Amino acid sequence: MSEIEPSVIFSIENLNRDYICSLDKLDMHKWLACFNKQGTYTLISNENERNGFPIGFMLDDKYERLQDRVKQVTEIQEDSTEHYQTRHMTQLTSITSLGNNRYQADYNFSTFYTQNLIETTDILCVGRYEDIVLIENGSASFIQRKAVIDTNVLPRYIAYPI
Amino acid sequence: MTQESNNNATLEWPAKYNEVPKEVFERADLWPLELEKIFYGDEWHPIVHQSEIPNIGDFKAADLGDIPVFAVRGQDNKIRIFQNSCTHRGTTLVTESIGNKTEFECPYHRWLFNPEGELVGCPNSREYAPGFDKKNFGLATFRTEEYNGLYFITMSDTVAPLREYLGEDFYEPLGRILGGDGRMKFVGYQKVYYNCNWKAYCDNDGYHAPLLHLAFKMLNWQGGKGVQNVSENGHLSFESELKIPDDITALKDPSILDFKGTETSTGSIVQMQFPVTVYSKHMDMLNIRYAYPKGPKGIEVHYAYFTHEDDDDEMVAHRIRQSSNLLGPCGLISMEDASVFSRIDKGNKTPGMAIFQKGVKDEYKLELQVGQNDESGNLPRWEHYRKTMGFKRATS
Repeated sequence: MSEIEPSVIFSIENLNRDYICSLDKLDMHKWLACFNKQGTYTLISNENERNGFPIGFMLDDKYERLQDRVKQVTEIQEDSTEHYQTRHMTQLTSITSLGNNRYQADYNFSTFYTQNLIETTDILCVGRYEDIVLIENGSASFIQRKAVIDTNVLPRYIAYPI
Repeated sequence: MTQESNNNATLEWPAKYNEVPKEVFERADLWPLELEKIFYGDEWHPIVHQSEIPNIGDFKAADLGDIPVFAVRGQDNKIRIFQNSCTHRGTTLVTESIGNKTEFECPYHRWLFNPEGELVGCPNSREYAPGFDKKNFGLATFRTEEYNGLYFITMSDTVAPLREYLGEDFYEPLGRILGGDGRMKFVGYQKVYYNCNWKAYCDNDGYHAPLLHLAFKMLNWQGGKGVQNVSENGHLSFESELKIPDDITALKDPSILDFKGTETSTGSIVQMQFPVTVYSKHMDMLNIRYAYPKGPKGIEVHYAYFTHEDDDDEMVAHRIRQSSNLLGPCGLISMEDASVFSRIDKGNKTPGMAIFQKGVKDEYKLELQVGQNDESGNLPRWEHYRKTMGFKRATS
C-alpha cells in the first residue's frame, strides 16, 4: 500500500466510513449514495465464493437493483422485519491501483447486531469486503462492494445489506 | 436400525382437528421421541442431489436427526451415503460441509476408508481382537433411493418405497422441480439458522402468502389458479398458475421477476415433504431447502439452488440473479417467512391452542380435499405427526 497517495487512502476510508455509518444509522438513501451509476453490491458466503458457486444472499448487479434494495428495506418489508441495530467494525487491509482512477480496496469486517427489545448483542457475520472504488475530484464511490462472509450459516435472516 | 428410547413424553391432543397445542412447539422433552418416531422412523429424507457432488471424490456432509452423515461420489461414479463416523471408535471422518477426497482417514488411529466406504487400512491390525476382519468394518450406510438425481435415505426397513411413500400427486411435480429429468447444475447455497422449533418452520401454509409478503401486493402480483394436494402422511404439494403483470412499476429493475420458462399454467410449484423438506420452482428458480433441526429449539436451513444443463448463458445468469434476490433469508418474496418463524416461536410460549380456520369445514373431521389458499392443508400433517408420536386425541 506504500505507493498509494495518502489522499487516495483518505478518500477510500471516507467512503467506507460513510457506508458503514449509513447502515448503522439505517439510512438506506445514504447507503445508495456510496455507489456510482455503475455500482454493484454482492453479499455472498465464503463457501460459495471459494467453490465458484455464484449464488449470493444479495446480488445487486446493476444500479437499478441497488435502488430496488432501498425500496425493499424501507417500504416492502419494513413492517414485517424484526429490526435490529448493527455496528460495523472494519479494517483496511490493502489498496491496489487499477489505473484510470480506480482502486481495488480490501477490508476485513465484523458486524454485530442487537435486536430491538431483546437487548443482547451477537455477531451477525464476519468477513471481508472486496471493493473497486472510483475516485473523481477527490470523491470516492463504489463501482463494486462485495461482502464475502466467513459466516456460512447466518444466525438469523438479514434485512439490510452488510 | 431404529434406536429405542425410554422417552415417555406424552401430550393430549384436542378433539378438534383444527387445533394444535402450542406446547408442541415448546416442549424439549418431545425431541427424543421425535427422533425415534419420525427422523429415525418410517420417513424418507433427501440428502443430496447428484449435481451437488458432480466429480469423483466430491462429498457433502448432512444430518439425519442428530446423526451426522455424508454423501460421496465413488471411483465407480456411484453416490453412496454413509454415517459420518469411523467404524473403530466413532470419530467423524468429514468435518467440512463440502469438498473432495480420494480417501477418508480418521485422524485418531489412522483408519482409512475409500469413497466406496470400504476399510482399506488400519495400523497394527495384527494385534487386534481375534475375530477382526476388515470386511466387517466398512462404513455404515442406509437404505437409499434416487429420483431425478436426488438421493433419499431412511433408517426404516418397513417404510414404503419412495414413490409410494410420496404419492403420485407429490412425486410427479417433484420431478419437474428437479429439472424434469434431473439434469441440473448446482449453483450454490444460502444457509441460515432460524430460532424456532422445527415444526414451526414447517407449518407454513397456503393462506399466508399474499397477506404476509407485501411484495406480492406492491407488485400487483395476483395469484393465479392452482391446487393444493395433501396426503395422509403429511406431504403438501401446491401448483399455481403464474400471473406476473406486464407493467411492474414498483421496481426500477422488473427483469428480476421475468419468467423465461414456458409452462405458465404451473409456473409455481411448492412442496413440503414431511417432516422438514421444502422444494420449490418459483418462476425460474429451482430450489431444494434441506433442513436440519438442532434439537428442540432451532433449525438450520440450507437453500440449494440449481440451473438446468440445457440452459443457455442468459438463462443461467437469470436464474442466479433471481434466486439470489427473491428467495432465501434475505429474499424479496420470502424474508418475511423468517421473521414470522421466530415470532411464532416466542408467541407459542403462551398457553392454549394454535387454531387453524381457513378452509376448515368441520372441526371434528379431517379433510383431505382443500383449496389452493387454505391453511387447512396443514392439518393432515399434524394428524400424521400426532399418530406417529402416539399422542391420544381427546374425545369430543
